[in-house]
Amino acid sequence: MLETVRYFFLRALRNMRQWPFLCSAAILTMAVSLATIATFFLIVVNIEQLAARWTEEIQVIVYLQRPPTPQELPELVNKLEQLDGVERVTYVSPSEAMERFGERLGEDAALLQGVRPDLLPASYELALHRDFRSHQGIEEIIRQLENLIPVDDLRYGQTWLERFNHFISMLRFVGAFLGGFLLFATLFIVANTIRLTLYARRDELEIMALVGATMRFIKIPFMLEGAIQGFVGGLLSLLFLSFSFSMIISRGLNAFWLTPMDFDLLFLTATQQLLLVLAGVVLGVLGSLSSLRRFVRI
Amino acid sequence: MIQLYNVSKRYSRDSVAVNDLSLKIDKGEFVYVTGASGAGKTTFLRMLYVAERPTRGQILVDGQNITRIRSHHIPYLRRKIGVVFQDFKLLQSRSVFENVAFALEAQGKKRFEVSKKVYQALKEVGLEHRLQRKPLELSGGEQQRIAIARALVVDPLILLADEPSGNLDLGVTLEIMELFKRANARGTTVLLATHDYNLHQRFPRRVITLDEGKLVGDQRPLDSVGSEH
Repeated sequence: MLETVRYFFLRALRNMRQWPFLCSAAILTMAVSLATIATFFLIVVNIEQLAARWTEEIQVIVYLQRPPTPQELPELVNKLEQLDGVERVTYVSPSEAMERFGERLGEDAALLQGVRPDLLPASYELALHRDFRSHQGIEEIIRQLENLIPVDDLRYGQTWLERFNHFISMLRFVGAFLGGFLLFATLFIVANTIRLTLYARRDELEIMALVGATMRFIKIPFMLEGAIQGFVGGLLSLLFLSFSFSMIISRGLNAFWLTPMDFDLLFLTATQQLLLVLAGVVLGVLGSLSSLRRFVRI
Repeated sequence: MIQLYNVSKRYSRDSVAVNDLSLKIDKGEFVYVTGASGAGKTTFLRMLYVAERPTRGQILVDGQNITRIRSHHIPYLRRKIGVVFQDFKLLQSRSVFENVAFALEAQGKKRFEVSKKVYQALKEVGLEHRLQRKPLELSGGEQQRIAIARALVVDPLILLADEPSGNLDLGVTLEIMELFKRANARGTTVLLATHDYNLHQRFPRRVITLDEGKLVGDQRPLDSVGSEH
């Protein structure tokens, strides 16, 4: 058994040595294809991550008809915190609201002189759980709120949120569409490259069948070869990605397009890196298998 | 060893390669298969190692009906049959040794056994000093001898040769015929397809003649032991 495995492995390596050009072509095709898919994946993941940051700003502001008395306040805050989807509640009294308004006006704060400090309404600012930072989530919270306290007005950036939701749906749709297309193109290119490498070796396949080699004997070394090439291709793509990523970080290019936010670009996690190399192996084996079916006829 | 009953092979409605062929070849026989180009010699041989399946009729090889043999049994049948072609069918990227070893490796033989048998087979054809050369570095006759060594290294019951000397000069052809005769003397049944009538005059053996896929002649030499001995 061990002898057989060793033989198959050595034959796969020997074949690769005997056909260096074909072997390099297969490895490079897989490396480029995997790197393209992984780059696309990283772009989508980073945009989504960035979008998730934006949603942290989403909050519901509940304007009250009258400010609560100091006795009512703790109970109300407690009730609001019990609502599904509410992460944190901040009470803003009319005088605090005026203070903030003054800060926003900056040099023009003098305009507020003489204005009654209770002119602005009291409000609660509700910070939301991640799962509720959507149009539907907020509607759910509003429904609960209306049963709980008399509300004067609500603000949660409706227009922005709708646009944002459209953007996310579009991003996901384009991501799935382009990702699917890239995956299909990759499979097609890799299968064809491997097919070409096997086409060049069809004599060998024919002679093997002629001298009484079983399907297993013919196929296993080629599949192993595909697996080795896929493994090397996967590693190369990973190296390329790491190198490009470190270049982007070292040149500070991430700051160029994400200037206003403190945001670290995401790279592939250890599991994703392993999956990338494994995808190379699977791609190599499947590519070999599908092409062998065409060329090996016993 | 080989029996054919009313075997026909059609490639299309108008193209009949073998037509209602019935014959019997005994174990240890040496048989020439002759006929003009397109007579059906190659198709006949290809059906024996199941590179083609007959459209009609039955073929028995070593007692096994191969007409409807399952695909996964074909390799085991082929291990009993050595095949030699006019164009040698050698792996140009492999050494002489590797080309011959290939046949044994395909059968899952152990390494030490492979080395020993390959050396013996190459010695038998007089190429034991060319082990590490590539086929293209050798002459046509030498390449054909490698192909014969590859066919014989597995000790086949049957040796099929399709125009093995078609591209070779007379001297080399005679050397190759000597190798076939030696294999036959060790008990291998030999079928040699050729349109070279000089061959069977020089080495008289049973001659099967095909014409447009039909058996038109089956002659045995008067002295069945062979007059050249």
